[in-house]
Amino acid sequence: MLHIKCPHCGMRSQNEFSYGGDATVKRPELGKEISDQDWNNFVYNRKSLRGKHWELWQHLSGCRQWIKIQRDTATHEIFKTLKANEEIS
Amino acid sequence: MTLPIETHLLQACVSEPVKPVLDNVVTFGAGHFYISQSDKGEMVMGGDLDGYNSYAQRGNLPTLQHVLTEGIAMMPFLSKLKMLRTWGGIMDMSMDGSPIIDKTHIEGLYLNCGWCYGGFKATPASGWTFAHTIAQDRVHDLNAGYSLNRFNTGHLLDEKGLGTKTWIS
Ligand SMILES: Cc1cc2nc3c(=O)[nH]c(=O)nc-3n(C[C@H](O)[C@H](O)[C@H](O)COP(=O)(O)OP(=O)(O)OC[C@H]3O[C@@H](n4cnc5c(N)ncnc54)[C@H](O)[C@@H]3O)c2cc1C
Ligand SMILES: [Zn+2]
Repeated sequence: MLHIKCPHCGMRSQNEFSYGGDATVKRPELGKEISDQDWNNFVYNRKSLRGKHWELWQHLSGCRQWIKIQRDTATHEIFKTLKANEEIS
Repeated sequence: MTLPIETHLLQACVSEPVKPVLDNVVTFGAGHFYISQSDKGEMVMGGDLDGYNSYAQRGNLPTLQHVLTEGIAMMPFLSKLKMLRTWGGIMDMSMDGSPIIDKTHIEGLYLNCGWCYGGFKATPASGWTFAHTIAQDRVHDLNAGYSLNRFNTGHLLDEKGLGTKTWIS
């Protein structure tokens, strides 16, 4: 069982969260001519890192906020958690 | 090369052996659960991905609990069985849940990947069309739809279309 520290609620069990995927993917800017390749990168292509991975989770059965987590995809160790509007440094 | 693929984790589990009760594979379509009985009598069960990127080759209990709840809803006698073992393997989850069997822009490099949960049962057709693709250096009619370029052009397949984002279903 993963234990995730929600930046709003503190340490909670994985059961309360749902997953939202790679947190580093950026939506192409609106109002600009966007190439098929850029859309493809946004919608489909992923780095799928083995190791430290920034990802989105939602505290669905808690405060319902989206948060960012840095987790090792090989060991499941969690290093950092951020609020959704905090930039990954 | 960046691919429309993420690595995820799938668990399966096996119960203690019991007398013959099931001579078929049974799946629970309203959720995601499947079960069969091995020749030794063990019930072999599985279902959903753990649901987050993972290379760990080991799973967590919340997903097993979710999967087995579906099993017990369908076959209540399962609740009496002891679990013998569980294991987890990593899956090359394509973004639309269908595989890619194709040439690439690099000469001599061919792709046969993104098999998700189903790369075992598909082996005869996958191997045959892949051998054709390599030997002739062009795709066969049967795997033409399973191109890498479908993600670029939007020519998606008439299949379930459920890749890594299994929580959408
Ligand atoms: C728990 C579980 C249950 C499943 N149940 C089913 C099922 O019921 N039905 C079904 O059809 N499918 C099922 N699958 C899926 C199926 O097992 C896979 O889709 C299939 O095995 C994939 O075959 P593959 O040849 O593409 O890849 P793999 O079998 O993963 O083979 C890849 C090989 O490449 C090797 N390799 C990796 N990196 C390197 C490297 N750098 N250099 C050299 N070699 C390397 C690996 O060691 C491995 O041997 C299940 C999978 C899991 C984990
Ligand atoms: Zn919270």
